[in-house]
Amino acid sequence: MVHISDGILSLPVLAAGWAITIALIAVALWWSKRKGSVVEEIPKLSVMTAAFFVASLIHVAVGPTSVHLILCGLMGIILGILAYPAIFIGLVLQAFLFGHGGVTVLGVNTIDMGIPALVAYGIFKAGNKLIPSKSLTSKAGLLGALTGGIAVALAVSLTAGMLYTLGKEYAWAIKALIIYHIPIIVIEAIIVGSVVAFLVRVKPELIGSLGGEKE
Amino acid sequence: MKAKLVFAVFAMLLVLSCLSISVVSAHRLHVVHKISEIEIEAYFVGATPCRNANVTVYDKGGNLYMEGVTDDEGKFSFPPKIGMKEYTVVVDAVHMPGHKAEAVINLSQEAAGASAGGMGTEMPLYTRAIAGFGYLIGLAGAALAYMGWKMKRKLGDQKIENRE
Repeated sequence: MVHISDGILSLPVLAAGWAITIALIAVALWWSKRKGSVVEEIPKLSVMTAAFFVASLIHVAVGPTSVHLILCGLMGIILGILAYPAIFIGLVLQAFLFGHGGVTVLGVNTIDMGIPALVAYGIFKAGNKLIPSKSLTSKAGLLGALTGGIAVALAVSLTAGMLYTLGKEYAWAIKALIIYHIPIIVIEAIIVGSVVAFLVRVKPELIGSLGGEKE
Repeated sequence: MKAKLVFAVFAMLLVLSCLSISVVSAHRLHVVHKISEIEIEAYFVGATPCRNANVTVYDKGGNLYMEGVTDDEGKFSFPPKIGMKEYTVVVDAVHMPGHKAEAVINLSQEAAGASAGGMGTEMPLYTRAIAGFGYLIGLAGAALAYMGWKMKRKLGDQKIENRE
């Protein structure tokens, strides 16, 4: 449901979406290249993109419709700034293979899910630094849950914002979008929290937003 | 003599009528046809029915013909208009903004293989998911190959510099 399909949004919104997405992908690639080698990130990047790609198939029935997982928070926490291009690739595949969203709206949809990933990365990194705690696992788990929930809420708000540009006709749809995603916010918070807690214990170097300050 | 002749004529008539008899002539069975409904079915990838979606049907000229809502199975039926062979059906899932689809129904072509365009022709979902993984592995491979090539060239340059 956070995927907007073709033929709904107006041309200026679509064009702006593409412009912002292309700019952000370029910045993300340039930034991570400057920070270090992208080569080591590629396997992690493709595994996470694959996870993001299939996560949209996990449907949860809510009311008359069904909504699916998004996992943008987890993408941000693990991949850091590279989550943005990864989400773009994941969305391209979803659009062509699953019919989620559309081709002309790829720019807008990447913003809707990529920006929350970047915000999740920021929150997770800052929170990890600010909150002093003895147990890294529980701290990471709680922070992960919080970040995962916030990311979905933000993704839904951004999508709602995009639909808001269409005017009153979509007011009901926006309301439905928000209400039906409340369970997803909770479910994803639990999933992201447990995945992050597990990874911190088993393989902390996988988490991009932890890796930077440790070394 | 006369009776014999009459009998012969009757016998001939009987034989002739037996020869010319055809299967249907006794109780003629009529078959006429009338297409009373065109059924459409809306579903998401993975065969999830698209419920309570707004359906709008336009005729060939693009004029609004009928409006309705899909049922619990994602189905909607409408009677065809006489003489109108082509319809455009637009399904808009209002519960899921951003899910809108359009299909053109052509009755003259449909007759040969109705329901040929049904769910059966869609690639199963797991195949699509596997295809997606394939693309991702390919992309990762291409990226790694590119990086490797670049690294090799860099190393090669360094070697040359060292020699000099």
